[in-house]
Amino acid sequence: MILLENVSKSFKNGVHALRDVNLYIEEGEFVYIIGPTGSGKSTLIKLLDGELIPSSGRVVVAGTDVGKLRHSKVPLYRRNIGVVFQDFRLLPELTVFENIAFALQVIGLDKVTIRRRVREILELVSLEDKAKSFPRELSGGQQQRATIGRAIANSPRVLIADEPTGNLDPEKSQEIMELLEKINQEENTTILMVTHDSNLVDMNKKRTIALEEGYIVADIQKGGYIHHD
Amino acid sequence: MIQFFKSIPFHIKSAAKSLVRHLVMTLSAASAVMVTLVLLAAFLMIAGNVSGFADHIEDEIRIHVILGENIVSEEQLQETKTEIEAIDGVKEAELSDKENELKLWIAEKGEIFSMYEGENNPLHNAFFVSVTDPDRIAEINDTIIALDFVDDAMYGGNSISTLISMLNTIRSGIIVFVAVLGVLAIFLISNTIKMGIYARTNEIAIMRNVGATNTFIKTPFMIEGMIIGLLGSILPCIGAYFGYAYLYNAMGGQLFSNVFAFQPINPFVFEIIGILIVTGMIVGIFGSFLSTTKYLRWKR
Repeated sequence: MILLENVSKSFKNGVHALRDVNLYIEEGEFVYIIGPTGSGKSTLIKLLDGELIPSSGRVVVAGTDVGKLRHSKVPLYRRNIGVVFQDFRLLPELTVFENIAFALQVIGLDKVTIRRRVREILELVSLEDKAKSFPRELSGGQQQRATIGRAIANSPRVLIADEPTGNLDPEKSQEIMELLEKINQEENTTILMVTHDSNLVDMNKKRTIALEEGYIVADIQKGGYIHHD
Repeated sequence: MIQFFKSIPFHIKSAAKSLVRHLVMTLSAASAVMVTLVLLAAFLMIAGNVSGFADHIEDEIRIHVILGENIVSEEQLQETKTEIEAIDGVKEAELSDKENELKLWIAEKGEIFSMYEGENNPLHNAFFVSVTDPDRIAEINDTIIALDFVDDAMYGGNSISTLISMLNTIRSGIIVFVAVLGVLAIFLISNTIKMGIYARTNEIAIMRNVGATNTFIKTPFMIEGMIIGLLGSILPCIGAYFGYAYLYNAMGGQLFSNVFAFQPINPFVFEIIGILIVTGMIVGIFGSFLSTTKYLRWKR
């Protein structure tokens, strides 16, 4: 599903964000990406969703060579991947229902389909009773669930979550974790979760990839956070 | 394509929302368009009339070619006509036979000359030759005089060709000025739309994230630009109509003499109004196209 071949990315200011990264992730996998600040996690995400082009190497997601996409084709590619951000990025003047519907309007679905799909999603993320609420009326965990709902609304094959629990307390974080696992199992969505949260990684053990200074320093199938002495 | 039309209500809604939200900016951009269009209207009116004057005068100036006494038969006339029309720069040679010449003579000099009508007509057959390029009229006149079957040829004189080239210069000057104004208006609109874009950076980022195509993101801004252009064209259109009608009636439809007759209100003013509206819209769409394209090009 996701294949990175000898991928390097350096910026004009001389920063080497990723160096010779090789990575293969199967369809339906749930993978953690861990590493300290500046280790290249964000760059990896931006390469995957087509925001950045690798300096060398190949990034292939769901059969598409992401680095070779023409500018105008990037949006079409992006319909295959959902992205969840730490800071939610919900539109404040739209209700939860409208926020999720927005993702579907933008790709040109008709009203009836949108309404049906949004209801499904609200049920999946357990926000049925908050459909008419505005983001400011929700707690952090609820907002994050709404964001996840928006990201998976158009049934992407890959879901990238960038520190989805970064702003949440442990209890809410576990809730989000369970939601992501549910999506992973029910919709067979491949999930990449970038995180700092060692407790979460230790509690829900999955394949874990550790980045440091642009290198993959560990890729552990059985999971667990890597602690430095 | 079908998807595009289906999403039009969505676009119009978001364009309208954004226009209302940034009302002050909308009004300032619309007034920039308005000022430009007022000037454009004024210049179109001057240009339209000047070019009307020029056309009018151009029609008036023809070379009057008087043929030799011996050119009388139908055949000879046809031959000379062909020969004159073969000269480079000649548009058409129109026959004015003896009788017609006398009629013109009588009209100009008085009834007394009607005594020459019939067998006594002393005048020769002649042609009225019109030219394609009035600037070359003197040169063509000389060429025609040099022909051996021609007695004489004359035209209005140098003052007329000077006047024509002057009018043409004014016309092209105005076109350049209007083009410069148009560029200015596009620049102003594109700046306004740019502010609108920055106010909605978040929304655009999310749209890109969930896979909205560039066209989809641009469309509401283009509609916004178009509406700004339309808003800006309302007052200039009204002003153009009443202003021109007032001037036309106040001046009695002409400047100094009927050579300088103004273009009639209908359809001239309505043509100008059409041009103003279309220009306003195109300027608006183009302005927002520029800024959205520029903005999106740097985001992937």
